[in-house]
Amino acid sequence: MIKFHPSEQQLVEYVAGDLTAAMLMTVGTHVDMCRHCQSHVQDIEEKLAQRLFGDVTDLPARWIANADVMIDEIINAAMPVHRSLSDSDNYLLLEGKRFELPATLARNYHRIGSWHKMLGKMWRAPVDLGSGEVLNFIYMGTGAQVPEHTHRGTEATLVINGVFVDESDEYRDGDFVLLDGQHKHTPQTQQEDCLTLATLDAPLQFTSGISRLLNPFSSLFFK
Amino acid sequence: MQLGTEAITSRKTMSSARPEDPEHAAKLLSRIAADQSRAAFSELFRHFAPRLQAYATRQFGNEQTAMDLVQETMANVWNKAHLFKPDRGSAATWIFTIARNIRFDILRKNKYRQHDLSADDLWPVLAEQNESLDDDYALDQDLLMQQLAVYCDRLPDAQRIAIQLIYIEGKSQQEVADALQIPLGTVKSRTRLAIQKLKELIHSDD
Repeated sequence: MIKFHPSEQQLVEYVAGDLTAAMLMTVGTHVDMCRHCQSHVQDIEEKLAQRLFGDVTDLPARWIANADVMIDEIINAAMPVHRSLSDSDNYLLLEGKRFELPATLARNYHRIGSWHKMLGKMWRAPVDLGSGEVLNFIYMGTGAQVPEHTHRGTEATLVINGVFVDESDEYRDGDFVLLDGQHKHTPQTQQEDCLTLATLDAPLQFTSGISRLLNPFSSLFFK
Repeated sequence: MQLGTEAITSRKTMSSARPEDPEHAAKLLSRIAADQSRAAFSELFRHFAPRLQAYATRQFGNEQTAMDLVQETMANVWNKAHLFKPDRGSAATWIFTIARNIRFDILRKNKYRQHDLSADDLWPVLAEQNESLDDDYALDQDLLMQQLAVYCDRLPDAQRIAIQLIYIEGKSQQEVADALQIPLGTVKSRTRLAIQKLKELIHSDD
């Protein structure tokens, strides 16, 4: 059962296509995994369609006169060849494990870079959106821990598979967690490993004791 | 003559045959898909295109870009009408999602937005095979049919026969009533009970 969802506002901006590229991917993947948000998205689509096509008072009248010309153009035009979707790969491999990718990620498989080892039992693979934004798969083996940190910007984390915990809760498949500078947390895995998709809009700030020494290296988590 | 008829038609009947009416709009799309009906397309076009135009002009503040959005959206409505699935939502909603995708790609191509995601990869509205996750059924159609056959064998004879005639041989409920010489109401209740029973069997095996 998914406990954490994107906000109403984020779902509306997802449907409209007005989120950043990294958030479109993250929210879109959550929607793939969450029946509750799928039906919510359908409702939002309907509402936005009603708003778009509802009462319109300022219809461009001059233009309507040309309707027949445009209709003929469309009907007589050669059928556009629609680019066929890239062969989607559905699995992500790491350390001999195979993770099934939700549809949005599978369709964007070609953007996924190779895995790099970070600290301890953590691995990272970037997703290249051509936007300069940071979107990463983060894999935490069992019993892994990220030192306590806060965020200068906003961090969105979506659990693709497995479970991690922090001071406030436990997050499982499909959970979407949004954290900003006000939250300090220490994510960790216990008996189960965890694959997440995470986007950050600024480097982490490590907050406790010796791990503050990591701050100069926090780009490890960032790029 | 034509005008006279329209004048005496009640408001209700009139509105039920216009593209604002979801059922009518869905019918128009299915006529485009089935017979490439120019009349049906023209009716949809005259309703949706000016509204798209007004929306896109507000969005882009540029008449030509707005026109591109209208043209590309409506061309997809014409060419891809067969991809509209009435059980997924209304015709207006489907057309909105096409326009949303085209707007998204226009914003990227015109460098208003810096990224290289394509709308189709985010929202596969126009993919020939819509492989979205809620299409569980489509994935294993054969397997599903085999399983259903097993469940059907567990139905009481009367119900199983009704289901076979309707869903396998494609007969109408009336034809089944005639063939079995039973009242139509009985066919309906047997079908309903059979489907209810099948649902229970499927869920109990989950």
